[in-house]
Amino acid sequence: MTEPAVVVLPLWLPGLILLLAAGGLVAVGLCRRWAGAAAEETAEEERDWSIPELVVETAPGNLFQRWDTRIKLATLLGYAFLVVSLHRPGPAAAAVLISAVAVLLARIPSTGVLKRAAGISGFLLMLALIMPLTVRRHPGDPIVVIAGLEFLTFNPRGLTLALTIGCKALAVALLMEPMLATSALGNTLEALARLGVPVKLTQMVLLSHRYLHVFAAESQRMQTAMRARGFKQRTDRRTLQTVANFLGMLFVRSFDRTQRVQDAMLARGFTGRFPVHHRFAAAPGDWLLAVAWLSVGVILLLFDRFGL
Amino acid sequence: MHDIDQALLPKHLANPLLQAEQLSYSYGNGQQALDRIELSIAAGDRLALVGQNGAGKTTLARLLIGLLRPRSGRVLYAGVELAGDQLRRARLEIGLLFQDPDDQLFCNSLYEDVAFGLFNRGLAPELVADRVRRALTTVGLEHLAGKPPHHLSTGQKKRAALATQLAMEPLVLILDEPTANLDPHQEQLLLEQLQRFSGTLIAISHDLPFLCELCDRAVVLEEGRIHHDYSLRELVSHPPSMRRHGLDFTFRFSCCGGHPEAPRQVPPTAAAAVQAEGAEAAPSQPLTGTVPLFQLRDLHYTYPDGTRALRGIDLTIEAGDSIALVGENGAGKSTLLACLGGIRLGRGDCRFHGNRIERKHGGELWRHLGVVFQDSADQLFCASCREEVAFGPEQMGLSKSEVARRVEQALCQVRLGGYEERVPLYLSGGERKRLALASVLGMEPEVLILDEPTAGLDPRSQELLLAILQRLPTTKILVSHDMFFIGAVTSRTLVMHQGKIIKNYLTSQFLSDKALSSLNQIHYTYKNRCCTEILGLDQGAYFQHAPDR
Amino acid sequence: MHISDGVLPTQVAVGCYVLGAVVVAWSTYRTRGDDLPKVALATASFFVASLVHVPLGPTSVHLLIPGIVGVLLGPSAFLAIAVGLTLQSMLFQFGGLTALGANALMMGIPALVCGRLFQALRGSSRQRAVAAGALVGALGVALAALILGLLLYSGGEDFLGVAQLALAAHLPVMVIEAAVTAFMVGFLSRVKPELLELPLGSGRQDALGVKA
Repeated sequence: MTEPAVVVLPLWLPGLILLLAAGGLVAVGLCRRWAGAAAEETAEEERDWSIPELVVETAPGNLFQRWDTRIKLATLLGYAFLVVSLHRPGPAAAAVLISAVAVLLARIPSTGVLKRAAGISGFLLMLALIMPLTVRRHPGDPIVVIAGLEFLTFNPRGLTLALTIGCKALAVALLMEPMLATSALGNTLEALARLGVPVKLTQMVLLSHRYLHVFAAESQRMQTAMRARGFKQRTDRRTLQTVANFLGMLFVRSFDRTQRVQDAMLARGFTGRFPVHHRFAAAPGDWLLAVAWLSVGVILLLFDRFGL
Repeated sequence: MHDIDQALLPKHLANPLLQAEQLSYSYGNGQQALDRIELSIAAGDRLALVGQNGAGKTTLARLLIGLLRPRSGRVLYAGVELAGDQLRRARLEIGLLFQDPDDQLFCNSLYEDVAFGLFNRGLAPELVADRVRRALTTVGLEHLAGKPPHHLSTGQKKRAALATQLAMEPLVLILDEPTANLDPHQEQLLLEQLQRFSGTLIAISHDLPFLCELCDRAVVLEEGRIHHDYSLRELVSHPPSMRRHGLDFTFRFSCCGGHPEAPRQVPPTAAAAVQAEGAEAAPSQPLTGTVPLFQLRDLHYTYPDGTRALRGIDLTIEAGDSIALVGENGAGKSTLLACLGGIRLGRGDCRFHGNRIERKHGGELWRHLGVVFQDSADQLFCASCREEVAFGPEQMGLSKSEVARRVEQALCQVRLGGYEERVPLYLSGGERKRLALASVLGMEPEVLILDEPTAGLDPRSQELLLAILQRLPTTKILVSHDMFFIGAVTSRTLVMHQGKIIKNYLTSQFLSDKALSSLNQIHYTYKNRCCTEILGLDQGAYFQHAPDR
Repeated sequence: MHISDGVLPTQVAVGCYVLGAVVVAWSTYRTRGDDLPKVALATASFFVASLVHVPLGPTSVHLLIPGIVGVLLGPSAFLAIAVGLTLQSMLFQFGGLTALGANALMMGIPALVCGRLFQALRGSSRQRAVAAGALVGALGVALAALILGLLLYSGGEDFLGVAQLALAAHLPVMVIEAAVTAFMVGFLSRVKPELLELPLGSGRQDALGVKA
C-alpha cells in the first residue's frame, strides 16, 4: 500500500450516482411532504407554519412513558453523547438501528419522527456532497476520478465520514421523540430542573413555548393579510423593506404583550417562582433500564474504538 | 363640553372595599392618563366603567389592582394602602380578566393555568386540584384540563381565563372588555357565569346591553377624569350624556327598538335614514350581465390538521350584492372568506367572473378583492398611514401619481384626511379599523370582504364605520355577529352551521327568523331583549333628542 | 445554519456546553430578575421571526437575526438565544441536542457583540441608527459564520472544505440581513423608538414590586 490507488470511472457511473442522489432528494422531499401532513390544497406560498407539538400521544404504559422522566432524560442525554463520540460507520449504523428499535418500542406516531429526519436532512446532504470532494487526501486514500471530469477528485473516505456523521445525527434525532414526546413538556422541564438546570431557565423555555404558538398564529394572520394586499416575495428591495416592517411589527406586538403577560402573572400573585406540579418517584426498574441503556452505549463505543 | 354635574359626582361610602384617593397617573411619554380620580367601591357593588377608547379605563383597572404605580394619590383596599403585604393580599383577592385571554393563559395546559394563582396563594396540592376541577366545571371546560391553551377556541379561552380568576375565589372581579370577539352564544355563556358571581364586579365595556344585564352602577370616565358616577339606569336614560362620552349606541335601536320581529320597519331614526341612502347607492343592476361574480359548487375545505371546515358549499354571488355571513364561531365563515379570497383553495368548483379560481389565478384574485380583517393589528404594518394605504396600489404596479391620488381618495373616504404622516400603531381602535378599510379601498376592489368590522369598537366609531360602508357601492360580504350591522349593511344573509350553508334568504327574513336560535345556537335574541329594555327607559328622552343627530 | 449532532468532536461539544453555560449565567445575571418572563416572550417572537424565509433568486434563505436580537435585548440576548435554540432543537431538530452549546455560542456571541456595538454607534439621528443597523445586521451573520467555520474546523483538517463553504454560503445572507436589519431599525425608530433605546431586560418597572 505505498502507491495510492486512483480509480478512474467512466462517465456513465457518476450519471447513475447523480440519478440515485436525485432519487434520494425526491425521497427527502416526499418525507417533508408527508411530515407536513398534506399541504395538499393550500394556495401557493402558503408555508406550513404549524409548530410541531410535543404531546403525549402514545399508548399509555409503554416503556418510555413509565420510565421516570429524570432518569430517562439523564440516560438518553448521556447516551447521545456516547453515540456522537463514535468514529466508525459500523457502530454508528448500529446506533441508528437501536434508535429505530426505541422508536418502535415507544409506539410514536411516525410524523414527528419523519419531521425530525427532514429537519436534519439539509445539513447532512450538504456534508455528503461536499466532504468527498474536500477532505484532505491522506496517504493511502484511494481516489476516484471520473473520466472527462479529472478536476473533481472524489475521496471515498469523505463519503464514509459524512455517512458516519449522518448516522450519528440520525441516531440522536430518532431518540428525541421517544425522549420528549412521551411526557408532557412541563413534566420534562421540571425533570430537567431536578437534574440541576436552573429553574429560571426551564420556566423560560415553558413560557417561550406557550407564546411561540400565539406569535406563530399572529405572524400567519399578518402574512395572510399582506398577501391579500398583493404582497409577493421577490428578490428586491421592496420585499426586504416589507419583511423588515413585518418583523418590526411582530416585535412591537410581542413586546407589548410581554408587559401584559407579566401583569397577568403578577395579578395572580406571582413572586418569581412557578408552582411545581409533578412529583417524581424512581423505582428500581427505572435505574435498571438506565444502566442497561448506558451499557449499550458504552459497548458501542468500546466496539468503535477497539472492536473488530 | 357639558359641565360636570356636581350632584352626580362620587358618593363617599361609609365602608368602601376599594377606594381611589386623588389618584393620578401619566404614561411614560408624559401624557396624563388619569387625573385626580376619587372613587369608592363598596363590597357587592356591580359597577360599569365606561368611556371612549383612550379614556383611561384600563389604566384605572391596573392601578386598582396595583399593577401600576400611581404618580400621585393612592389606592386603598379594605382601608389599607396598596403596598407590601396588602398589595400581595389585594392581588390575590382581586381578580382581573384581561381583554386578550392569551395574555392570561401563560402556561402549557389549562390545569396549570388555573392552578397557578392557587399555588401562589400557598394552598395544598390536594386542595388546588379540587378547586381547579370546580372552576373548570363552572365554565364548562373540565374535559379540556390537560389541553394547551392554543388548542382552544376564542370563546373557550375566554372562559378558561375566567376560570383562572374564579378559582381564586376573588372578592372583587375586574373585567376588561369581556365580550370582545365572542359570538352571541359564547357571550351569553359568559354572562350567565358572571351573573352567578356574587362578589364585587367592575366591568369595562362598550357593550351597553351586556352591562345592563350585569351592572347597576355606572362610572363614566372622560380624558382621565370621572364625569359621572350614578346608576346605569340613569346613564342609559340620558342620551345626550351617552353621546357626549361616545357611548350612544341608540343608532342601533332601529334594529330592535321595541320591534325585534320586524326590525326594518322602524320609525324615522337617523340610522334608518342612512340605511335608505345606502340602499340607493347600491347598484341595482349586476355589473357583469349574466355571469355571476362568484359561483361556488360543492366546495370542501379540510385543514392540514384534519378539521373539516367546509362541507359542500353551493353559493352564487352577483355583483352589487351585499351579503351577510353568520353562524357560531367555528362554523366555517372565515374559511369560506379565505376560499373566496383565493387565500385558501378548497376542493370543488369555485369561479370568479366565470373563471375557475385555481392555484395560478388564485394569486391574482387579490387585485379584485379587498379584505378587512377582524384584528386591525394583523393588517397594519407600516410606519405611516400614507405607506399603509399605498402598499396595495404599489403592489398593483400603479404609477406614482395614481398611487398618490388613490391614497388621498381612500383616506378621504374613511374620513382620515390629514392623517397621512400619523403612525398607524398609535391611532385609536376606530381609526385603525378605518385605516385598514382605506388600505384596501386604495386598491379599488370589486368586492369588499369584512370580518367582524365592529368588534371592539366604541359606539361612535361603529356609527362612523357604518355611514362609510353604506356609501360604498362595492359588492360587500360581511361576517358578523352584529345583528344591527347586518340589517343596516346587507340585503341577503347566509347562515352557516358546521361547514354548511343552512339558510340563504333576505336579511329581513333572517332578522325575523325565530327558529334559528335553537337550530344554530345563535343567541341574538337576548341582545334584542336588552335593547328593548333600554329603549323603554329612555324612549321619551331619545326621540326628543333624535332631531339633533 | 445549525450544527447537527455528530459533527463536532465530543470534547468540543462538551466544552461548548460548559462555555455556553457560563455565558448564560452571565446573561441571566445581567437581566433583571423580574424581566425574565419578558425575555422568554421576546424569545418566542424571535423564534417565529427566524422561521421567516426571504427569497434569494431561485431559492430562499431564512433569517439568522443575531443582530436584531442583540439590538433589542442587549445583554439578555444570549439567554434568549439559548432558550430559543433549545426549543428549536426540541421541536424541529434544528440543531442537535449535543451541539446545543455550540449553536448557542455561534448565534449568541455575535448577538452580544452586535447589541453592544449598536448602542455605541446608533447616535441620535435616524440615519445613523439605520446605518448602525445595517452594520450589525451584516456583522452578526459574519461573526456567526466565522464561529461556525471555526467549530467545524475543530473537527480536523477534513472539515476545512466544509467550513470554507459554510462561510461562503453566508455571504448572501449577510447582505440580506444587513438590509432587513437596517429597514427594521428605520421602522422601529419611527414607530417605537424606545425599543431601540432601552433593550428589554434592563427596562424600567412601573408595577409595584412584591417581595416574596
